[in-house]
Amino acid sequence: MNTPLNDDENSLRYAEYVLGVLDAAERASVERELASSEEAQRAVAFWQQRLTPMTQMLPQITPSEEVWTGIRRALGWDTRSASPQATRFWSNARPWQWISLAASLVAIVFAVLLLRGPVRDSGHLLVSSIRQNGVTGWTATVDLDRKQVILVPAATTAIPNGRSTQLWLIPAGQSPISVGVFAAGTTTVLPLNATLLARVATTAILAVSVEPPGGSPTGQPTGPVIATGPISGAPAASGSG
Amino acid sequence: MSVTSAVPEHDELDALMLRIAQGDRAAFAELYRRTSPRLLGVCVRMLVDRREAEEVLQEAYVTVWQRGKTFDRSRAHAMAWLVALARNKAIDRLRQRRDSPGGHGHELESIADEEPTPATRAERGQEYRRLEGCLEALEPQQRRSIQEAFFTGVTYGVLAERAKVPLGTMKSWVRRGLLQLRTCLES
Repeated sequence: MNTPLNDDENSLRYAEYVLGVLDAAERASVERELASSEEAQRAVAFWQQRLTPMTQMLPQITPSEEVWTGIRRALGWDTRSASPQATRFWSNARPWQWISLAASLVAIVFAVLLLRGPVRDSGHLLVSSIRQNGVTGWTATVDLDRKQVILVPAATTAIPNGRSTQLWLIPAGQSPISVGVFAAGTTTVLPLNATLLARVATTAILAVSVEPPGGSPTGQPTGPVIATGPISGAPAASGSG
Repeated sequence: MSVTSAVPEHDELDALMLRIAQGDRAAFAELYRRTSPRLLGVCVRMLVDRREAEEVLQEAYVTVWQRGKTFDRSRAHAMAWLVALARNKAIDRLRQRRDSPGGHGHELESIADEEPTPATRAERGQEYRRLEGCLEALEPQQRRSIQEAFFTGVTYGVLAERAKVPLGTMKSWVRRGLLQLRTCLES
């Protein structure tokens, strides 16, 4: 730095500011200076630059997924609509995809293990990864024989306080049919009635919407659809072929 | 002062910041993916509470997007800018908390044990080794005080309480340490 630092006391305030030892009033005073003084900006940048490597002594901690969701929400980037940029990002985010895929596989294995009870082993199964922005929120396993669907959360999904999540079956070209209200964060088993059983097919999709407590009052989704997934045949789940 | 570094990562992050300044969301997502674990490590160390640290992290990245245009790579590289932004938010949060003397410091060891290890020596760059060398040249109590201050973001008053020394002693350790550090870092 070429600036002569003739007043150590004063120039040290910038170092103290960056270090973080000043109280709220002293910090505010330095920040006012920073708004107008080139010298203050230079001195603060010097210390920020030079002290930053100290952060390498600390362990890195991967944030939970809510942080990214929260950032997107705060910036008004609707988490429902996968914008081209967001799609581009997700398709580039290989490590996340792998984590998501691994989570889905774990969820499927878990669901299949749950289904393989002592009762019967050759269930007719369909599965669906219900995804939002490329990340699996839930894995659904549809057991046609036992007339139920098992929902397993694959990621933590932030739901506004006091709202419910509701699962919908949407047959191709038809209106959504409610499967039921479920708790977003825990494994849930929902029964399938005759109407649903008749329409569950690999041409249909499953969707999750956010609804008033207890579910949609109209019988159709009223809140945002936060995740969707096509239904497909299950991987071979047991030795029964 | 010149911002010279032989660290390719700096250039990549700087380039991402320039794209962010032009509203490139994919660049922002990439920056988040690459830098958020380090920033969260910093925030958790300061705030101890994981949830609160994540709140601060979220605020910090929202600000990164909103203020991306003010990033000036001739002054500090992107990582320094990001760390400063996140630390400032965490420090503001600490000051609002009305720091209780002797507050959270003692809980740190138990947390650190559960987390993955920091970067190994070989992974750290030239800048790190330079800072480390300059810190090692300080008196032990000066070095400890400066590191504790940087990591925890607490005031002189709290530092003095924790070290069980008078306020004036703590100030003198830190200030003398900073003056010596500056001379060493500028040389």
